[in-house]
Amino acid sequence: MTLRIAKQTGEWLNRDKKIHFEFEGQALTAFKGDTITSALWAAGLTVLGRSFKYHRARGILSLANHDVNILVTDGIDTNMRADVVEVTEGMKLSAVNTSGSVKKDKNSYIDSISPLLPVGFYYKAFHTPRRLFPFWENIIRKAAGLGIVNFNYPRILKRKQHTHCDVLVIGAGPSGLTAAYLAAQAGLTVTIVDENKQAGGSLGYDRAGDAASVAQLQDLLNKVTSQDNITLLTASYAAGYYPDHLIPIVSAQGISKVRARAVIVASGAFEQPPVFRYNDLPAVMLGSAAQRLIYRYGVKPFNHGLVLTANDYGYRVALDLLQAGTKVVAVVDMRKAGDAAYTAKLIEHGVKIYTGHCVYEALASSDKSSVKGAVICAYDDKNNLALTSNKFTLACDGIAMSAGWTGASALLYQAGTGMQFNYQIEQFIPSRLPDGMFAAGKVNGVFNLEQRLQDGVRAANAAIGYLGLKAVQTEAITHTGSSPSHPYPMVPHEKGKNFVDFDEDIQIKDFVNAAKEGFDNIELMKRFTTVGMGPSQGKHSNMNAIRILAKIRNLPVEKIGTTTSRPFFHPTPIGHLAGRGFHAHRLTSLHDWHHTHGAVFTDIGAWKRAAYYPAPGQAKQDAIQAEAMAVRHSAGIIDSSSFGKIELHGPDAAEFLERFFTGVYKTQKVGACRYLMLLDESGVVVDDGIASRLAEDLFYLSIGTSNAAAVYREMQRYQQMWQLNLGLVNVTGAFGAIGIAGPAARIILATLTDLDLSDEAFPISCVREAKVAGVAARVIRLSFVSDKTYELHVPMSQVPHVWHALMTVGEKHGLRPFGSDTQRLLRLEMGHAMPGVDTDGLTNPFEIAADWAIKMNKAYFIGQRSLAILAKRPLRKQLVPFVLAQNFAGEMPMDCNLVIEGQDIIGRVTSISYSQFIGRCIGFAYVTPDKTALGSTFSIRTDNGSLVTATVVATPFLNNQKDA
Amino acid sequence: MQGFDVNKQGFDVNKIVQVSPTAHAQSAEITQWQIVNDMKIAVGFEGADIEKYRKKVLGVTDVSCLARYGVKGPQAAQWLADHEIAIPANSNSWTMCDQKTLVMRLGSSEFLLEDQWGGGACKQLAADSSRQANVYKVARADAAFILSGSAVLNLLSELCAIDLSEQSLSSKEVVMTQVAGISATVLRQTIAGEPVYRLWCDGTYGAYMWQVLLDIAVELGGGAVGLAQYQN
Repeated sequence: MTLRIAKQTGEWLNRDKKIHFEFEGQALTAFKGDTITSALWAAGLTVLGRSFKYHRARGILSLANHDVNILVTDGIDTNMRADVVEVTEGMKLSAVNTSGSVKKDKNSYIDSISPLLPVGFYYKAFHTPRRLFPFWENIIRKAAGLGIVNFNYPRILKRKQHTHCDVLVIGAGPSGLTAAYLAAQAGLTVTIVDENKQAGGSLGYDRAGDAASVAQLQDLLNKVTSQDNITLLTASYAAGYYPDHLIPIVSAQGISKVRARAVIVASGAFEQPPVFRYNDLPAVMLGSAAQRLIYRYGVKPFNHGLVLTANDYGYRVALDLLQAGTKVVAVVDMRKAGDAAYTAKLIEHGVKIYTGHCVYEALASSDKSSVKGAVICAYDDKNNLALTSNKFTLACDGIAMSAGWTGASALLYQAGTGMQFNYQIEQFIPSRLPDGMFAAGKVNGVFNLEQRLQDGVRAANAAIGYLGLKAVQTEAITHTGSSPSHPYPMVPHEKGKNFVDFDEDIQIKDFVNAAKEGFDNIELMKRFTTVGMGPSQGKHSNMNAIRILAKIRNLPVEKIGTTTSRPFFHPTPIGHLAGRGFHAHRLTSLHDWHHTHGAVFTDIGAWKRAAYYPAPGQAKQDAIQAEAMAVRHSAGIIDSSSFGKIELHGPDAAEFLERFFTGVYKTQKVGACRYLMLLDESGVVVDDGIASRLAEDLFYLSIGTSNAAAVYREMQRYQQMWQLNLGLVNVTGAFGAIGIAGPAARIILATLTDLDLSDEAFPISCVREAKVAGVAARVIRLSFVSDKTYELHVPMSQVPHVWHALMTVGEKHGLRPFGSDTQRLLRLEMGHAMPGVDTDGLTNPFEIAADWAIKMNKAYFIGQRSLAILAKRPLRKQLVPFVLAQNFAGEMPMDCNLVIEGQDIIGRVTSISYSQFIGRCIGFAYVTPDKTALGSTFSIRTDNGSLVTATVVATPFLNNQKDA
Repeated sequence: MQGFDVNKQGFDVNKIVQVSPTAHAQSAEITQWQIVNDMKIAVGFEGADIEKYRKKVLGVTDVSCLARYGVKGPQAAQWLADHEIAIPANSNSWTMCDQKTLVMRLGSSEFLLEDQWGGGACKQLAADSSRQANVYKVARADAAFILSGSAVLNLLSELCAIDLSEQSLSSKEVVMTQVAGISATVLRQTIAGEPVYRLWCDGTYGAYMWQVLLDIAVELGGGAVGLAQYQN
């Protein structure tokens, strides 16, 4: 049997191109342009999928990208929406969420036990007894979900682009196209986006049996395409609204983030199903779905169809069915009366019209694959009663439903639009739009075609005026005529199976039960019943759910409100969201050298740093110990170019430092270095570093790698507030730094510079400017990793030259490179705690015994007030240096292992390492103040649960080479 | 010592040769190198015809070797004027001064200069080591690029959130923005009659930026173009 009909004017098919494909093993043909669903329906197949929960047979509902019961897989991709995905040559398709086949799904028995599985049953049923939960979890996990994830799915790049326009029009229906054309004529750049493959919206398929609207659409499209400043995007959806009119547009190719100066939302409305028993059977579909099937794909929805309506739209659907060759068995109107003109026209075609009646239930065919008839009875509109005393049956093979609409308002909600329920049209419509947002057409509560065109003009003029151009501003258009939506299209039935949410198989009784359980707020009811939480996100169920709850609570609809709309409006593949992977990273100018010499790299902030240089086959710890031993016995060299480096120029530079950091800098001599400690306003240690005074009005700061950007940003922020006479220059990338440390460091360096490196001329904590290997350098004498450490700060591009020079002359002195992991061990041996490693987001300076770095007698510094308060409180923890027993051979404690006393946690290890030079395990740990005295012991619990005794010692650890 | 031998033969302590900050990312390609302005830089990748074609579609060229000079401070504008450097009247705009040097005004009191082919202002300013109140030299180590071709906006639209089209970015405007997630400076310029985009970022991001630009350029039918295509 085929339901394909003659070519329709404006159809989306290319009938010259035949497509061959398979569905569930059955060979089928289609035309180019058919969706999977239209091709299957044309071939006479009605059971196209199974419902998520009860595995009920399902067919077409909307044919508008919301038929989530018809998800198919081609073996590679899954959850393809058959109602909109175009069928292509050679496809081998099958339905997801079935066992066996879609026609004979083994899981369809679940429907027969559905009374045992009401909503919320799993919240209550499976958590006790606890021992059985794994059993239930296994079953639920197997039953849950749609489709099977293909872990071999190819990585297909989906580009994310930024685009810009003056006006973004969402929806290419009659209102949207009209608005776009007018805005473009005013000289504005316009982008129109529509989720459908072709523009036109309902103008393409809502014809009431008359093809005149096709010409009207063509005329509108011609106008739009004649404008060079209009970009029309079809098969793309506006997925969400973000501040300042940023709207992601999703297409098969990727995401385009559109920044618009103004937005016109002309997104139309979703048709809402009336609710009656077995309204989910295959061949019970929305009226607009029937129209799409006819006019887009040239397929007859049914041979003998019945139309259930609660508005005038159903009459138009009936006329379209007649045009397609369907015998319309009857039009059943839940209202007392329908439109006189349409009524006359249908009667003229011999169609019987039952006003004040409803479909009490649909009757399934013997194999439940379709409809064989409908039970009709009188309907008490006022009291929502099906008057079954005189019910009768009409034979039919399909039912088209038209009961009303809900605006496609998601983006309006997300933009913060005030929405009001309008009882004239029984719909939420915008009452207060944000700046630059405009609404037109059905989403704005305007349904008549001529009025929608006018509303498009009005919205465009409003947008043009908003953008500062001259435009005629017109009054808002008000809907006239009967309501397009029924206030309560829900037919009660004692046996239920009257579905509200087709995604999750939710019936009217489920809402009643939820309310009885106390979930009678719309947000709570949503979560308890899961209404609107399926893949279609409530596009066909939320409004009915609100109406049902309003009735249960005997409140007006607007008092119930709506659930929160969030981006993304439509499920979007993860690959789209991921897009191209950007992993911004910084390399020092020595990166290639490190790479060539076998460095293992580590990420520190945005930087790739050489962590250590293992010889072939050498273990990490062995490499680190060997590098550290070189520094202790001869010399080591490290690329420290990733350090943050900041210059402060100007007469107020010292004043700024005194306010920003905890120390004193006004008295600092030119050529001297001082320690920097940065706190936040609550007195927490943020970072530390060194300030080198190069001139009275010039300081050069070197700070930690990871925090450098944040510290510089904070300096700029404070300078904005303080407005001191100075200039801040971030030279992190412009300068590189080389550290050379160890007993031979001085002699190596001395061969490349004329600078007097003697202790007298150049003691620790001093800075000098001199040429090293012919390169102008800032040379800083430090004791971070060794008493004999020189840091050479030179232009980044000249770092390799200086490095090579040092390596060349240092070779005979045993100079070797060491990495950042070795640096951590070396500084630990020296007894230096590191912010971010030995501190956390709550540590104050007193807890790390850094009182010496705090000059409380200054007028002000960041965090000073908090420290004054903290100083009066007893310490709760304190960082202490510790060693493990000599020749310790047990389970090695790790960073973050806990310090335990009895059953209590009294601290944690922050740094720990074995030091070959010292011959012991050394580290830092937080302990309670009563454990801080030299010689105190405490227990560290290792990963395997054993307790290891640690002893508090003095720093530097280098003094602990002998017994502690 | 194993693994850390120094190549003494090729190293001359008196000869300082710098390497372009993007070089790390280019080393995997077939690259012809040259020393330009004391910096080793890629002057060619493929044959001239291929590179000319790429230039028209979407070419990415590393011009980090051009000399640059940065200065900021309340008196910076006056100081430049004293050195007879013509400066743009407004912030976020650029001009080409008589010395064939691009002068970008990044803020009311911050400037970035770049010598173009045959330009000399940066070298002239760098020779002045005097310090003056309220004039702060800004050390620069930028990675700098020329982006050319008909698909260049397509590339930029993927990397930058702001509108860089001709309609939005005027011919004398400079924007400081984020490109591929990092801070960058962008302007439109005409070089030898061809409209191009210029892009600068911190040199330590140079290899990353080159890789990102090139990946997209290749996808869009373009590719790497050597400096030689602009040298003449």
